[in-house]
Amino acid sequence: MIDLIIFISLIALGYFAGSRAEKQHYRSINKREEEFLYMPALTLKNVTNQGEIAQSKLVTGSVVISVDYFKRILAGLRAIVGGRVKSYETLLDRARREAVLRMKEQVRSADMILNLRIETSSISKGRRRKSVGTVEVLAYGTAIKLKK
Amino acid sequence: MKYTPRKITENVNISKTSPLREFFLLTTGILGTLIIIYLALGLLLDLVVPRISYEMEDYLSSLFEYAYRNEEQHSPAVEELQNLLDKLVSIGGFDERKYKIHLMRSPVVNAMAIPGGHIVVFSGLLEKLKSENELAMILGHELGHFQNRDHLRGLGRGLVLMFLASATLGIDSSVSKILQSTLITTEMKFSRKQELQSDEWGLELLEKMYGHAGGATDFFIEMSKEDKHSRAAYFFATHPYPEDRIKALQSLIKDRNIPVLETKPLDQALRSVEVEQK
Repeated sequence: MIDLIIFISLIALGYFAGSRAEKQHYRSINKREEEFLYMPALTLKNVTNQGEIAQSKLVTGSVVISVDYFKRILAGLRAIVGGRVKSYETLLDRARREAVLRMKEQVRSADMILNLRIETSSISKGRRRKSVGTVEVLAYGTAIKLKK
Repeated sequence: MKYTPRKITENVNISKTSPLREFFLLTTGILGTLIIIYLALGLLLDLVVPRISYEMEDYLSSLFEYAYRNEEQHSPAVEELQNLLDKLVSIGGFDERKYKIHLMRSPVVNAMAIPGGHIVVFSGLLEKLKSENELAMILGHELGHFQNRDHLRGLGRGLVLMFLASATLGIDSSVSKILQSTLITTEMKFSRKQELQSDEWGLELLEKMYGHAGGATDFFIEMSKEDKHSRAAYFFATHPYPEDRIKALQSLIKDRNIPVLETKPLDQALRSVEVEQK
């Protein structure tokens, strides 16, 4: 019985704290993405007709985010019946965008970022039941500055 | 081509459904399915139990060997009990299989039917009995459980899975073995209806054996006077409703016009059984 009470409280806590954190994070992401609109991040390896490159630099941005308890349970239930694990979608979406933003934040004076790559890895260490639903996303690319 | 940075408003990478709604749908769906399976197993139990062969029952009986691991061996009391049981078995015409008595030295006031034709009698029960007729009634009652196959029903829903696994994969398959090891139930509690049906069997055997119903209700009357927290607590845990059973027996005796005559005293060998462990 006491286990059930702890379980339900954790789910409620996870739901409220998790949605609050997610909302705040999205607000911050949206704001900063708008700020960095001037700096496109491309997957192209080189750009022609943009002028001569003055400076280039490797930039990386990485972030580690965890889902809340509620979403982890939800994903567990989903794993029983199969289908799209919607509760993890926002986690990965936020992590990717945050990693790109962190990367850009290091080179505010760059004109663009070329050869952007994004890598994801899960940090789920520990025993099966006690593993943490955490991802790391790493974004890296080449920041370039054009000759004016 | 000119690059014009534009803010992305639509995000295709995340679904627009409410996680709470998904949670609700998934939990109700999964729980609902589990409940349906559980109920279906309960219904299947009644279908499966009559189809379980004696061979499979004997196989299951190995699960319960712990119940009589300290049984008394070859004492005059055991022989007397076995004699009485054999008489009841042949009178009832249950000869198609062997029934075996196990006498346990214990203050527990009870007797039980265990899969495989085993009847465990605790010495605490013998101490409470005054006549052979009472004992015959109790043994007849336990035989009644075997006839109705209540001892298998008491194993519960796991038995259905066990039956299906051994029917499809064979009794020695690893799946059957795993299921078998999960079947162990600590107490087998029978329903009111099952107890009353077994009492009816017991009464019939008693009448066939002695020609009258003397002693049929004596033990139950004695037990209904007992404090439920006493040494007899175990009896009440596995055999509730003693008052109901007395009433049902008395009305049966009346309806069938069975005479109630003098009872036969308990055999000396049974009277002198010690209750406590040596």
